[in-house]
Amino acid sequence: MFDTDTFLQGFPLLLHSATATIGVSLAGLFIGFFIAVAVCCARLSGRRWARMLGGAYVFFFRGVPMLVQLLLVYYLLPFIDINVPPIVAAISTAALCTASYIAEILRGGFLSIPPGQIEAARMLGLSSFDTLRRIQVPMAFRMTLPSLVNEMVLLTKASSLISVVGVAELTRTAQNIAASTYRPLEAYLAAALIYFVICGLLALFAHRVEHRMQRG
Amino acid sequence: MKISAAWKIGLAAMALCAASAAAQAQDQLAQVKKAGELVVGTEMQFAPFDFLENGKQAGFNKELFAQIGKELGVKVRFIDLPWPSVLPGLEAHKFDMVGGPLTMTRARAERYAYTLPIADATDALLVSAKNSPIKKSSDIAGKTIGGAKDTAQLAQLKTYAATLPKAPEIREYIDNNQAYADLAAGRLVAVANSLTNIAYVAKQRPKTFAVVTPPFGAKVYYAYAMRKDADSKSLLDAFNAALVKLHKDGRLAALQKKWFGAETDAPTTMPELNF
Repeated sequence: MFDTDTFLQGFPLLLHSATATIGVSLAGLFIGFFIAVAVCCARLSGRRWARMLGGAYVFFFRGVPMLVQLLLVYYLLPFIDINVPPIVAAISTAALCTASYIAEILRGGFLSIPPGQIEAARMLGLSSFDTLRRIQVPMAFRMTLPSLVNEMVLLTKASSLISVVGVAELTRTAQNIAASTYRPLEAYLAAALIYFVICGLLALFAHRVEHRMQRG
Repeated sequence: MKISAAWKIGLAAMALCAASAAAQAQDQLAQVKKAGELVVGTEMQFAPFDFLENGKQAGFNKELFAQIGKELGVKVRFIDLPWPSVLPGLEAHKFDMVGGPLTMTRARAERYAYTLPIADATDALLVSAKNSPIKKSSDIAGKTIGGAKDTAQLAQLKTYAATLPKAPEIREYIDNNQAYADLAAGRLVAVANSLTNIAYVAKQRPKTFAVVTPPFGAKVYYAYAMRKDADSKSLLDAFNAALVKLHKDGRLAALQKKWFGAETDAPTTMPELNF
């Protein structure tokens, strides 16, 4: 019943498409983290308009499914003459979407930093930007690391949606193999195994970082 | 001073946008020839037209478009998308035309420009090869059957089901292959799709599937589609001219025989759409 050949023969192609899954997730996370810090700062700002802007960002990007965001970026923007290639649409949507979640995670972290830490930094003459860069972000990062890893894993799995804009990622390739060989079980099992390994490695890496930061 | 500088930059940006819009609005054939490639949006889960073989695209489309590309003097590049994304992508100028192919229907003809037909797309039923209760199409009355969402075949099936004495339960799937899988698993008694597609499926897995003939519903054809605007007209004419040439020298018939198992009827003039 189980066809080992189909299962094994799928791997080279699936691993190739997994590079798209990993690439888009990592690039999205990296860019998304910086957007998230900016949004989070806006949310915690003393200025009313900045708070509203940050709030609106989270409201929109957390409130609309990533699938719909992808479709909007890819199929709607061309009508106002912005025609982005598939990979750009995929990475930018992943970044914008994950940023709304990371911003909220970081906000929790920022709020739990004892005010004394920031006062001490300012007393030592650090500018507010340096305080953010050297004190607040590292502390918030350390405190929220488990939640951030969670978001990382979620984004990796959500990247299965990017096939709607024409990026051949892991799930889409597994579907294509299933459709062409009429062997869905083997194709999806192979894809599941690869996702499992990717997310497992992510978790392992995060665990290492956590350990190191605790020692440091 | 500063404000006027900002205005100038803004105006320049707007002029650039307008210029790029103007550049987009030109003859599609000239654009394809200039780029040296015809870009085709399609779905790689539609055997025998497009599917994967050892990880590479295979099927009727790849070989037909290779011949068309030769006639037009351009390379052909395919983009693989889930079917519901393909037509929106065409309208958003993500590619020059749609592979597919699509069943020619009146409703779609109002929105898209069809090429000449390349194959027959009339609906028929795929059933289990072993002890199927379905011997003729009307046997599906009162039973559970499947079809793929957003397809003309499903629309035909619904129209046909309404004429039966007892309405069958119709389950809609994202793509045909999930419906085939459910048929194999015994959750459905039949799947409706074009005879061209299911004949191929049955040929690939003769122990599992069989085809119920004759087909049911209105006679329809498969064709490719382009945007229905003045720019695409030149490409459409060139494509059809190339297709007629393949018709005449027998290359089309040879491809049909290779992928559908038999030559199928596809007129060289625009047929009247009756669905």
